[in-house]
Amino acid sequence: MTEITLSPAASASRRLGEDGVSVIVGVGVLILALVSLVGPDLLGWVVTTSVWTDPAKALGALSKTYADLGGIGALAATYVALLAVLSAGAAALGANVGKFAIAFTVVFVIAYASWFVGSWAYLATVTPADQAKFGVSWSLRLTNEGGFIVALIVGLIIANFFPRFADWLKEAIRPELYIKIAIVLLGAFIAVTAASKLNLASSLLLRGVAAIVEAYLIYWAVVYFIARKWFGFSREWAAPLASGVSICGVAASIATGGAIRARPQVPVLVSSLVVIFAVVEVLILPFLAQAFLSDHPLVAAAWIGLAVKTDGAAVAAGGITESLVLAKAAAAGVNYAPGWLLAVTATVKVFIDIFIGVWAFILAYIWTNHINVKPDGEKAKASEIWERFPKFVLGFVATFVVGLILALGGAGPKLAPAVGEANTFRVIFFILTFFSIGVLSDFRKLWREGFGKLAAVYLVSLFGFVIWVGLIISWLFFAGIKPPLAG
Amino acid sequence: MSEQELRDELKAPAEPLLPIEKKLIGWSLGIGVALLVLLVIVNHFLPVS
Repeated sequence: MTEITLSPAASASRRLGEDGVSVIVGVGVLILALVSLVGPDLLGWVVTTSVWTDPAKALGALSKTYADLGGIGALAATYVALLAVLSAGAAALGANVGKFAIAFTVVFVIAYASWFVGSWAYLATVTPADQAKFGVSWSLRLTNEGGFIVALIVGLIIANFFPRFADWLKEAIRPELYIKIAIVLLGAFIAVTAASKLNLASSLLLRGVAAIVEAYLIYWAVVYFIARKWFGFSREWAAPLASGVSICGVAASIATGGAIRARPQVPVLVSSLVVIFAVVEVLILPFLAQAFLSDHPLVAAAWIGLAVKTDGAAVAAGGITESLVLAKAAAAGVNYAPGWLLAVTATVKVFIDIFIGVWAFILAYIWTNHINVKPDGEKAKASEIWERFPKFVLGFVATFVVGLILALGGAGPKLAPAVGEANTFRVIFFILTFFSIGVLSDFRKLWREGFGKLAAVYLVSLFGFVIWVGLIISWLFFAGIKPPLAG
Repeated sequence: MSEQELRDELKAPAEPLLPIEKKLIGWSLGIGVALLVLLVIVNHFLPVS
């Protein structure tokens, strides 16, 4: 196993940096999109991909204003804009901008090519009517968001069969940054969706509180007990492991490692395990949700938010689940409005994220006062709650509030297309997230000696407990609630 | 941390649960289950509009 040099302090600082960059980029994109409410359409050139049988007709600019650009022109404009903005972000994070720009170019090309392939009619069409429309006799029915899965699989292939190439790409492999920007953008989209049925949205919000109780008080305690009692892990390993499995993966295990003053390597090793298992979940759970929970769409959405660890994997899996469940319902003649399942998954995840700082403080207090008591040792400080608060959540709340005010204030028919432009960028950041998660998931680590025991705790806890309790709780709070119908 | 160090560390004898850890686990589960029951009741009396 290679040496790990990342310290929790360095990591926390990087996380804080990524949070700041994600808020600036996300809010900036939304502001530019909203200019079209009162002035010119500034972002209508963003590329979008339709389901295709003729590849020449697949790509295009989102807005008719920029139709003259053509598909390749829109793709190039989108790439240049993202390269410029993210290179500035990379500079702010202290990355090597030259290396980032080169690596990002390759990441963008591969990731968007995966998305393009995923929109092929033989992979994407779902209903017989769609198949007839595109003249295809069969389809894998992955929906047009099957491109996420393609991007993830391509990333996995690179990580596991071309490790040197994966290492070369690492400057631009930033799933946390990409998903945080996507979540900030998601705030406005959820607000516009929620404004159409405000009573339903507030009811769902209330039910999301159960997720916080479940993750911190039920999951954590059980996983910590399993790790300590059944597998004999030390406290230093068991606490970050419990947070990784229970709360939200990477950020939680690093925050916990810092809180209990664990050695830097411990949460980093746990985090690498979290990412690997999140990939397994993303590849399995959305399809299980489609197979068994399509009659209960919001149960499926909440379950994904509770079961899949790491923000990136969870929210992205929510997107796939929505697509698959809505497609199955559409095939049965029921057309649900899009956005509600993704909103529930994202809300559950963001609710859980908010309390990481509080939980880290509680653990820090217990460890410094009762477990690792040192006469002159550093004690837990209440300021840690704010230090560990995931700041990108503020960006999510800001875009949500702005979107809601505009939607309820009668911003007019231009609001939905404007937010739609921001949402198209959100989809692109999802694609980058999926590909990046894949590139980080080196499954060979599981076979390295010493790692198996950690993986065993994760496996037993996740598949033996977490996903089942998550299903029961989701059922208790979301069964019988349907998203509104489209139109 | 080298592979050898990790292997040795994970094979080390188990440390018994301290009373404070038992309290942490017990109180977490107790409060968690109680809050979930409370939320189920609230959920029942505040149906989705």
